[in-house]
Amino acid sequence: MVTQISRSAPPVEADRLAENAAERPRSRRRIAGSVVYHVLMAVCAFIWLVPLFWMLSMSLSKDEALRVNASSLIPQDFTFENFRNAFAISLVGRWFLNSVIVTASTTVLTVALCTMAGYAFAQVPFKGRAVLYALVLGGLMVPFEAVFIPLFTMFAGVDQHNTYHALVLPRLASALGVFVMTQFFSKVPKEYSEAAMVDGAGRWTVFFRIMVPLARPAMLSLGIIVFVWSWNDYIWPLVSVSDREMFTITPGLASLKLQWSNAQNLGSIMARGVVGAAPVLIVFLLFQRHLIRGITLSSGEK
Amino acid sequence: MRRSRAVGRAGLGTGMSFVGPFLLVYAAFLLYPLVQAVRMSLYDWDLLGMAPQWRGADNYVQMLWGTQMEWDLAHLWQLRLLILVVAALVAWRAARSRSRIQYCGVAALLLLATVLGFHPGPDGMWYDPLFWESFTHTLQFTLMSTPLIIGLGLAMALAVNNSRHRGGKIYQVAFFVPYVLPISVATLVWTNVLSPGRGILSAFLANFGVEPISWLGDQHLAMPAIVVMTAWWTVGFNLVMFSAGLQDIDPTLYEAAMLDGANTWHRFLHVTMPGLRHVTALVLVMQIIAGFVVFGQVNIMTSGGPGNATRTLVLHLYETGFTQKHLGAGAAMALFLFAVMFVISLVQLRLMREEK
Repeated sequence: MVTQISRSAPPVEADRLAENAAERPRSRRRIAGSVVYHVLMAVCAFIWLVPLFWMLSMSLSKDEALRVNASSLIPQDFTFENFRNAFAISLVGRWFLNSVIVTASTTVLTVALCTMAGYAFAQVPFKGRAVLYALVLGGLMVPFEAVFIPLFTMFAGVDQHNTYHALVLPRLASALGVFVMTQFFSKVPKEYSEAAMVDGAGRWTVFFRIMVPLARPAMLSLGIIVFVWSWNDYIWPLVSVSDREMFTITPGLASLKLQWSNAQNLGSIMARGVVGAAPVLIVFLLFQRHLIRGITLSSGEK
Repeated sequence: MRRSRAVGRAGLGTGMSFVGPFLLVYAAFLLYPLVQAVRMSLYDWDLLGMAPQWRGADNYVQMLWGTQMEWDLAHLWQLRLLILVVAALVAWRAARSRSRIQYCGVAALLLLATVLGFHPGPDGMWYDPLFWESFTHTLQFTLMSTPLIIGLGLAMALAVNNSRHRGGKIYQVAFFVPYVLPISVATLVWTNVLSPGRGILSAFLANFGVEPISWLGDQHLAMPAIVVMTAWWTVGFNLVMFSAGLQDIDPTLYEAAMLDGANTWHRFLHVTMPGLRHVTALVLVMQIIAGFVVFGQVNIMTSGGPGNATRTLVLHLYETGFTQKHLGAGAAMALFLFAVMFVISLVQLRLMREEK
């Protein structure tokens, strides 16, 4: 089945033996080496994250203080006002809500469609299955950039831009999702469904009673990664939405870019950035292992 | 996909009830638009509801051709020589394995090397000079970002999976975090990091007496700055791919190598690198594809400027389609991009099928 990504590398047997048998000076050198390693890594990790700490610090500082000095990693004149203002006086609240609606529907529908299709492609032998699956795999090679102009005219032709379904529907055609779920179900032994079907269960009963519970981890991984991609989708909402109120937060924040270089309200701008990033950061921290597994699954590595 | 004889074949209806909903969406929002893109690329199709005018291959000619075209051996000779060297290598391998696909690859490379000899003569010019400029910048971006992001990802993966010290995995979280940020947040932060007036980068460099540099405002620095920003933003992806690859390497191989007296460098060279071959190839292809469609960073941070120094293919096609409202010409460029990526993806599909 799916390989688990263990949290830490398994300790090598030889290392453990060496640890037990080592004389004192050697083990002391080992500890010293570990300390150096951790200090070095911690410093690198901190430097890597400095841009984010800086953004957080500015978002918690008063605009007036930032006009004097903006390059501090510690908030100056600590305040939550920027966050209150972001929701109160700008479109950020509306964009955030749009993002929640679009991302939630995209995620739930993608996982549902891909799980159904993946199960059938892997476990239900029906006529034309191989051809259809090849057709879906072919879609892996089509970049969204190749089809977004015709998609634009399609939705424009029926006057459906600036709606939620215009933002969701094109992103449901995820060949990658079907690929991931088919890979998963092809590793589930056929005996599971055969046993149930001998007992008289139909395909749908097998699907809901046996397959969905089995597939929960894979569905979660797919769901998490679709959530992140959907929240971060930039190009499609940029093309499809012309009414500022219908922006999701990713293109919405980008539409403010002329204000970014304006030093007058750095604090409020950064607070909006933090708001835009918060959901994906929270999902990442809660579900990191699933997200990381989703990445390795969808690249065909696992 | 093996067929199960015991249960017997399911009816078409049962199968379709599972795959039907997805196929419907897939046909409507991927296959149909793809066919439509081909159709649009043959028309002068504007946004304003005028009836599309048939143009035949004109959009393609406008994109790829120019006036007073000439062919000579010396034009772009460095690049073409490189292509010929690659072709020779592939031909050598093809001769050994008698692989027909590889011979096709050689033919394609030779054709490419020939075609690249065309260019406008002294009095001529490209019909769409910006297209070629964007193409060049896209190649520059890809050539700079691919080795940087792969190398950095590999180095990070080796550092966090260090078997001699416990607990390195915590740092993976830190290095991975930027990957989940929306493009607008990543660019918002970096626009400010790189800002000459108040950016932390110039504040930091000021300690060493360096005058503030306008990274994004300089013709030569803008693209490297965007490459660095992209590395920060996306390296997490390669990091987790390499980490997964490292964990799949059988630890007994390391033990055996240690018993044979191999030092760290030899173990890396003879155990780690071969073990990561598959992941590296996969990551390489995905990185090249990501490089070819770079858009958000340049659209938000520089709008393709200064001058056109950071104008990329997707930005150019976006502006042709939606700013200048030449949807037909935009569709032709989109298909050109698709053709390039199709070739790269073929390599990827072969790799994905190759192992396991």
